[in-house]
Amino acid sequence: MERAILRAVFLGATLALTGCWTAPIASVRPKGEPRLIQGGIAVESTKDAAIVQSIDAGARTIVVQYPADATRATYRVGPKVSDFDRIKAGDKVEATMAQELTVYVLKNGQLPVAGGPPRAVKSDARVLMVDPSYRLLTLQYPNGRNETFKVGLDVKLLEMEAGDDVVIRTSEAVALEVEKP
Amino acid sequence: MKNQRSSVRHFLRVIVVIGSVLLGLLPGSARSQLTTAQADQIRNAIGTRVEALTVLGGDFGLAGGSYKSSGANDIEITVNKFGGSGDVGDPQKLGDLDIGWQPRLQGSMGFVDDKNHFHTGLLNGDTSENRSFAIQFGGGARFWLNDRLSLAPTVMGMYGHTSNEYTAVGAFMQANVIQATQLGLVNWDADTWTVRPAVNIQYLYTWDRTIITLSSDPTFFHTESSRTSNSNVRVNGNSWSIDDKIDVDIPLGEQVYGHELRSGGYFSRTELLGDLKDGLNTQHIYEAHGRLVLDFLNQLWKAQWIGVGGSYLWGSNFHGWSAGADVTFRF
Repeated sequence: MERAILRAVFLGATLALTGCWTAPIASVRPKGEPRLIQGGIAVESTKDAAIVQSIDAGARTIVVQYPADATRATYRVGPKVSDFDRIKAGDKVEATMAQELTVYVLKNGQLPVAGGPPRAVKSDARVLMVDPSYRLLTLQYPNGRNETFKVGLDVKLLEMEAGDDVVIRTSEAVALEVEKP
Repeated sequence: MKNQRSSVRHFLRVIVVIGSVLLGLLPGSARSQLTTAQADQIRNAIGTRVEALTVLGGDFGLAGGSYKSSGANDIEITVNKFGGSGDVGDPQKLGDLDIGWQPRLQGSMGFVDDKNHFHTGLLNGDTSENRSFAIQFGGGARFWLNDRLSLAPTVMGMYGHTSNEYTAVGAFMQANVIQATQLGLVNWDADTWTVRPAVNIQYLYTWDRTIITLSSDPTFFHTESSRTSNSNVRVNGNSWSIDDKIDVDIPLGEQVYGHELRSGGYFSRTELLGDLKDGLNTQHIYEAHGRLVLDFLNQLWKAQWIGVGGSYLWGSNFHGWSAGADVTFRF
């Protein structure tokens, strides 16, 4: 009996110790053939605070500049932003953008197309970590910044892994939070 | 001199009766007289009880709840506590080793109300109530040996305050409560400190979207009194507990107000050793816990889930339950 317990403990310890811990890396090559895993994954991304440069009320667009690197971006403001008319140039705003993610397994940045030449896909980010249980998808951008998204129940997270390429399409701002000076 | 001896005997009789009934330590034959060893035993038992109640009330690893033990006397213990433990941030590489590590914080505070109602003998109708407040804080680090197996050594410190209040209804104790108080048997209070080294051994397994966690927590407690209202009340002892647990966390695939419902629970067996075993008069505590929660991870600050949960607890001579909000944070 004692021998059986000892064997079980030894087996359990061996199984538990199999492999080593490795830090998550987005630059690994994912397993499997190049393919589209899933497109149209709706997420929301909260951007860093930026200074409003100009506003086009008719087109519902704003131009903002990020203080960190002086880059400018133009955002279309969606109908969910009800107090758009109160935002003025010079305000510091934090925009929450609606985005759509498309996740691929690419080979040398290309996706095979049936009956035709492979299509080049420009990746915006790569998958760093996947938590299917809590539906978290962590991306790493080329500048090294990481961002974690809560994704919907229909997202095929069990098919995704570190190293998958992600194309991001930003549609419109769904929230604009003005920071008080 | 004769009067003094008689008085001493009377004192001793009070000690034996109260000590044996309150603490359940002495055999019935000991009621007629008290030896020095027995007096020490009673003092030790009070110290052990204080130590056990402080640990039960303040330690985040032991379950709160409402416990009841019925027999010749009814004993009710109510434990209300708030606290928990958590690993901070994502694991980072430990030097050049293939080991990940992350800081770990643990804290808890709680109250224990331990009420004994006497229904037999000289103390019939009396009530002895121990109240304990304890607060603990500490931390350590979790070391990931691979993606599933981790070890988390920690050290915590705990402050406790325990007081006894005796309500004498029967004629016997009404006549002797002053002497009993002078001897430190009733109406005492004590401040204590506890140091708590421990290690959490955890194995995570994910099956589809369900997370199964196996864990074991060997824990040591050393408790001493820093101040007592009576020199006969002394606390200085060691306790151990080993909590083995299996937890299952199941996403249900249904959403309520944009948050996924999750269910699950755990089953645990906590082995008590040393003064904790003697003070609580049980060798182990079993707990079966169920919960129904909403997933808030990455949606509301650091909340992982918010919902309701309940436990049924039992041991060799008691049973109890707890219910309340089930809130977990991930930092």
